[in-house]
Amino acid sequence: MDNWVIALIKVVFIWTWTLLIATLMTWVERRGSAMMQDRLGPNRAGPFGLFQPLADGIKLFTKEDIIPEKAHKILFSLGPILFALPAFSAYAVIPFGDKLIVNGKEIILQVADVNVGFLYVVALGAMAVYGIVLGGWGSNNKYSILGGLRSTAQLISYEVPFGLSLLAVVLVYGTFSLREISLVQQGTFLGFLPNWGIFKQPLGFILFIVTAYAEANRVPFDLPEAESEIVAGYHTEYGSMRLGLYLFGEYVNMYTLAALMVTLYFGAWHLPYIDMSKFLGPVSYGIASFLVFFLKTAFFLWLFVWVRWTVPRFRYDQVMGLGWKALIPLALVNLFITALCIQLTV
Amino acid sequence: MANNNNAPITGDYVTINIGPSHPAMHGTLRVVCKTDGETIVEAIPEIGYLHRGVEKLGENLTYHQFIPITDRLNYCSAIANNVAYEKAVEKLLGIEIPDKAKLIRVIMKELARIADHQVCVGILGVDLGAFTPFFYLIIQREEIYDIFEWYNGARLTNTFGRIGGVNADLPEIFHTKWPKLKDTIRKANDETDKLLTHNRIWMDRTIGVNPFSPEDALEYGFTGPCLRATGVKRDLRKDEPYYFYDKFDFEVPVGKHGDVFDRYYVRLMEMEQSIRIIDQAYAMYKELPPDAPLMAKVPKIIKPPEGEIYSAIESPNGELGFFIKSDGTDKPYRIKIRPPCYMVYQAFPELVKGEMIADTIACLSSLNIIAGELDR
Amino acid sequence: MAKPVVKKEYTFLERIYLWEIVKGLKLTFKHFTFNFKESLKKGPHTVPTCWQYPEDRRPIAPVFRGAHMLCLDDEGRELCVGCGMCARACPAKCITVKRGKPAEGEEGKYAGKTMSAEFTIDMLRCIFCGFCEEACPKGAIQLGQEYELAEYTMDACIYDKERLLANFQKAKAEGKLKPPKKPVPVAGGDKKAGAKKVAKKPVATDGKKSKKAASKPQAEEKKASETKREET
Repeated sequence: MDNWVIALIKVVFIWTWTLLIATLMTWVERRGSAMMQDRLGPNRAGPFGLFQPLADGIKLFTKEDIIPEKAHKILFSLGPILFALPAFSAYAVIPFGDKLIVNGKEIILQVADVNVGFLYVVALGAMAVYGIVLGGWGSNNKYSILGGLRSTAQLISYEVPFGLSLLAVVLVYGTFSLREISLVQQGTFLGFLPNWGIFKQPLGFILFIVTAYAEANRVPFDLPEAESEIVAGYHTEYGSMRLGLYLFGEYVNMYTLAALMVTLYFGAWHLPYIDMSKFLGPVSYGIASFLVFFLKTAFFLWLFVWVRWTVPRFRYDQVMGLGWKALIPLALVNLFITALCIQLTV
Repeated sequence: MANNNNAPITGDYVTINIGPSHPAMHGTLRVVCKTDGETIVEAIPEIGYLHRGVEKLGENLTYHQFIPITDRLNYCSAIANNVAYEKAVEKLLGIEIPDKAKLIRVIMKELARIADHQVCVGILGVDLGAFTPFFYLIIQREEIYDIFEWYNGARLTNTFGRIGGVNADLPEIFHTKWPKLKDTIRKANDETDKLLTHNRIWMDRTIGVNPFSPEDALEYGFTGPCLRATGVKRDLRKDEPYYFYDKFDFEVPVGKHGDVFDRYYVRLMEMEQSIRIIDQAYAMYKELPPDAPLMAKVPKIIKPPEGEIYSAIESPNGELGFFIKSDGTDKPYRIKIRPPCYMVYQAFPELVKGEMIADTIACLSSLNIIAGELDR
Repeated sequence: MAKPVVKKEYTFLERIYLWEIVKGLKLTFKHFTFNFKESLKKGPHTVPTCWQYPEDRRPIAPVFRGAHMLCLDDEGRELCVGCGMCARACPAKCITVKRGKPAEGEEGKYAGKTMSAEFTIDMLRCIFCGFCEEACPKGAIQLGQEYELAEYTMDACIYDKERLLANFQKAKAEGKLKPPKKPVPVAGGDKKAGAKKVAKKPVATDGKKSKKAASKPQAEEKKASETKREET
């Protein structure tokens, strides 16, 4: 019974938490971009404009829900749900801290420690493409379908290097469980470096971050919704909360990917050279590990925003070229080298 | 405007209608694209969505009253249009404007050129997904517009100058602002350059994208930065100098391939040259006495002798010409405007054929098609 | 016609994408930190390029061409004589003027012998070119600094005389009147002749008017014209 309650609390917590981060990210995005561009950004609603996402949410909720007359009603309604649902569920297997010991009971800060956590994340990431392509198709709009097609091609081609770079990590750690990968990143590597994934997989990390941007449809890979070319891509015809689901889903995806980066390559909740569990109490250690993990994730979230407002956008064929001609060979080389190193050292 | 050397259109192509209201269309342009996947098979530009009958309006207004109308041609650089029109009427009247008026016109026109290029380069960035340089540039444009506002009270539609000279001296703000402003303009250009020019994503998007040969460009009647990008060193300020342009020391930057990158880079370089011209013009201006005349002697009601005239200047977009036919009354018999955009836009179907949808947008922005000037 | 083929020549650093992107990130971060520090400062006008409209307004040029106003002279008399020069100069044909004579006992309200019985400006048509201001021989019509001109009905956009006079009173109260105009120096002949020429018009339309309003050059001009007549 206790386990059920704890699991429920964790689920509710992670849902609200990701939603909160996603809404907050819209604010960070707008204020951050404004600061980079010598502007101020939204600063009217609440202190520093912090209630702006709330106002946006209310606006989206209260807007009229329009379904175009010639749209495919079912697919049109299904699209945003299919996009947002996997995005919200993907975080379940990613840890958000180490563990919390309350009343002698150990609570792992992770919704579910699945031993195939990796595959779960990749599978749910691949699900998102259905939401986009169905929304694009169901809208019965040429721009939407172009956006949907672009997204399909992009997500499918980038799934390959994405998976291959993850596979190299699996080779290094010998496990599919994200919690186990996090746990072994304690200590030092080669005596002087923190025992983080990035030092074992530098090329793999670069490949991962590039493909992650493509998976999240962020600049420079935001072709599916390139506003200057195909208006808004797959969500051209969407309004009200359906659009909101697409937008939220995108930010939730970003959060998941950032957390994945931290888990795999940046030592999850571990601080370099310091073992927090040695001098912190059980509860405070749990909270500290959560905070460290979150701060690391926040940096990568910020990187998403930062890159977006710095670089231009790729062209469709160039994205494909980069994916197939550069990233996949590199990922294969990376996998090969990793395998070779492991074979030689073990 | 259909292409004759085109593959037969079968039902397999998708027709995509870009514009007249589309986030990337500058003003109200419309391009009907036949696409094969993402590749453009045929692009048919439709013009006339911003047609306001400017030329017909000219026939019903006096020579002076037409000046504000010219503001609305290329609204990014209204001053260049004003100067072009006034110069044409002055040529028709056969009057020579005072030196000081010429210098003020040069300074203001080059400021307008900088403002225009800033918008063009910034918008090109926005259309290719790089939003940030746009803001760095547009902030400097606002500073330039401040000078315009203090000069005669309007930021965008300036109604600069009068037939026979200019109606005001340079504002006080110019003397204080310019030395600082030129540095900030340079800094903004530099930052744009840093963010874009050597970025591979940008280079891939622009280099080799709809290139144009100089022969074709000349045949189509290209002028301005679009022609210079192909490598033809044609600049009316050098070739047919007016208003002391022969006395200024400046270069005409040229490109190599006439692709999007060259058009972008030529514009970036031209801003630097404009700063140099303004500096020299300002030095000459300062040598003149403060009470030097600003207006030539012009009758209150302008009645040019019968005749017709064509006069052109190098506007930011290229050769902006005014043909005026006078029948001796106080209203022109006919005004014909030769906008640089129109000639450039003719080549648009040729330019984008075989490229991708995203390149259409890049091409359109880099050509700097201004609907106000195109449709008149 | 064949399109020229462009060979792409990239250096190694350009080829690998990341180097230039990192340089770009550095630049945007520099802007970010600078603006972040600026925005923490107190006061509405924080980031140098941002004006927090409507609390914080940018300065408007004294020569700004905004909403029109009909000016009064120092004694509170209407300057407009209803000559219609502005209406004739207007390219948008948005001004309607009807000349009238002041009613009996009301002569003190007007600076000239005649006045405008009706004076409306259709702000829906106006293009704010400022030609009316330039054409006015009396300096009666001016374009003020008011730029928030939105209304709920179209009728409200057609300014009648009361509205235009009220605009002037408002601008006067706020000290936003235009600086006196300097005559534009004209080439050929001495400058005084040019100045006279400008000043001549009001005398001609005005006839004999109270001496107070007439400036000195005008008086001289009058004398000159009188002597001329005698000679002929």
